[in-house]
Amino acid sequence: MEVQKEAQRIMTLSVWKMYHSRMQRGGLRLHRSLQLSLVMRSARELYLAAKVEALELEAPSPPAPCPQDPRLHQAREAEVPAACPPPDGEPPEPMDAQEAAEEAAAPPRAAELPARCSLRPARVGRKRRSSSNPSDGVDAGLAPSKKARLEEQEASAEPPGRLPPASAPAEGAFPNLARVLQRSFSGLLSRGPAAAPTAPPARDATPACRAADPVLRVLVRTVVAF
Amino acid sequence: MARSRRRRLPRGGNDFQWCFSQVKGAVDEDVAEADIISTVEFNYSGDLLATGDKGGRVVIFQREQENKSRPHSRGEYNVYSTFQSHEPEFDYLKSLEIEEKINKIRWLPQQNAAHFLLSTNDKTIKLWKISERDKRAEGYNLKDEDGRLRDPFRITALRVPILKPMDLMVEASPRRIFANAHTYHINSISVNSDHETYLSADDLRINLWHLEITDRSFNIVDIKPANMEELTEVITAAEFHPHQCNVFVYSSSKGTIRLCDMRSSALCDRHSKFFEEPEDPSSRSFFSEIISSISDVKFSHSGRYMMTRDYLSVKVWDLNMENRPVETHQVHEYLRSKLCSLYENDCIFDKFECCWNGSDSAIMTGSYNNFFRMFDRNTRRDVTLEASRENSKPRASLKPRKVCTGGKRKKDEISVDSLDFNKKILHTAWHPMENIIAVAATNNLYIFQDKIN
Repeated sequence: MEVQKEAQRIMTLSVWKMYHSRMQRGGLRLHRSLQLSLVMRSARELYLAAKVEALELEAPSPPAPCPQDPRLHQAREAEVPAACPPPDGEPPEPMDAQEAAEEAAAPPRAAELPARCSLRPARVGRKRRSSSNPSDGVDAGLAPSKKARLEEQEASAEPPGRLPPASAPAEGAFPNLARVLQRSFSGLLSRGPAAAPTAPPARDATPACRAADPVLRVLVRTVVAF
Repeated sequence: MARSRRRRLPRGGNDFQWCFSQVKGAVDEDVAEADIISTVEFNYSGDLLATGDKGGRVVIFQREQENKSRPHSRGEYNVYSTFQSHEPEFDYLKSLEIEEKINKIRWLPQQNAAHFLLSTNDKTIKLWKISERDKRAEGYNLKDEDGRLRDPFRITALRVPILKPMDLMVEASPRRIFANAHTYHINSISVNSDHETYLSADDLRINLWHLEITDRSFNIVDIKPANMEELTEVITAAEFHPHQCNVFVYSSSKGTIRLCDMRSSALCDRHSKFFEEPEDPSSRSFFSEIISSISDVKFSHSGRYMMTRDYLSVKVWDLNMENRPVETHQVHEYLRSKLCSLYENDCIFDKFECCWNGSDSAIMTGSYNNFFRMFDRNTRRDVTLEASRENSKPRASLKPRKVCTGGKRKKDEISVDSLDFNKKILHTAWHPMENIIAVAATNNLYIFQDKIN
């Protein structure tokens, strides 16, 4: 489980770095994004391998991977994090036309996305969000409904030293991306690097395994958003 | 084709005794980001030393002529010219700021009294002319000495202006601006041995320019995949061969080097040679891919070898052997077990450069804690030296440093955990003919000379 925790920590760290690299002067650096996504992929592979091992110890059938690629391709076109049902008729964001977005999207795509059969329909289109999220203005861009869902499953987890959510989303070129990252970011952080190291081993049983799934999904969504 | 310059033969054993010569830059503990040196380069004769910084400025130092009345000045470098090469810009289309940081400076060989250099930031390359003015014309007919126009009715006689000496003024003027050719961030520029063309490389493309023509360039390498999702590697550095004007190499983030011959096709997507060392499976880790990324590639002066720098080592390759390097030198192997921490503090992304000495018998590269490393290729000896204000007494010899990797720490050794990772030496340069080295430590430039020099 140490391996799993370490891998998760590195994944969280990588997401944070990716988010942070958008803020620096000069914009996203292709090489840096590629390197971060490579580390994330390695960590993810390790995490999944460890998880599969753990699951095999508990139950015989491991989660079956769904053929995701076509849907993912479509989702990528929209430049927003996508769920199982692909966003149809969703007009591409303006940033699609820009290579900067393209290049940001590319590196993480190099990492194959894991099994996401059981994804919630978490569509995050700009239009959709504004209409389905009445309290949008309230939380500086955080979508309470999504956060609530994540936190439900984290009921068993204690909220350790939680880092404050990143400051107001960049109202620059990719406001959506910022909001998405914040959402997934804050969800991750509640079980992120600051996750209680002294948590009892019993925690490593079902709750952690179950809760890890949304973490991974959130992570993956974040990566696709690039 | 450039003839090889007459070089001083290396002394037996290359027993360097490096001594402090000078240090340039503020002593302040508080380092302004704009003052951080981002590139260092000697010109072809070694008389000029150029530095570029994050603030977009270029400072050129000139070596003083040896002076019999001041024998101890022994060829000191003093400021010759300072100018603002690049300014921050804004790309309105992508809503991105373009940093003014100077990524690379490359000198052109001198052809007349003026000096020319190319300097580049992330997007734009500029050709600068640095010229001296030590005479001034006086006695104009139409204007006064202070520049005011003379009243035409008062002009009763014609005179010929005469040249009078004046205080030396060094002027830098931008002669060419090569812009809008790179979508990604420029990481290298390299002047061709034909002295007419040069290449510029960004993450995915390499362009060939003619020094006289700014409105177009040829794309000679393009590794951008049709589908960006399939991107697995980027170009990290590129350089022209020192003698063969049709040959250049480029390194990748995967630790490979490709040598291309421009005679074979217009678009050099297919390499002529492919240099890659098979990976040691036992050393794989999360971070194997990152640390194998090559941060610098440099041809030897002879053109027979090339050197690559990745995060932990420097490798020398024989151009005739593609399957492995002929030499591998560990720079700071003790960091291999600390890669996770280095990932956390972003140090693992640091891009170190490397350089050859004039005779290709020694190579140098930087490390952390203001340490830099030198490897003698003949004797296989290596040494770790430090650039610090404490060792800055004139002509003081540099004491070799040692990092304690475990076990009992001896006196004068420094333990890995005490290393200061904020003090990194990324940029170093070696005089093309003499044993003089320039080492950039954040915002300070250290110049060391060999005692026997």
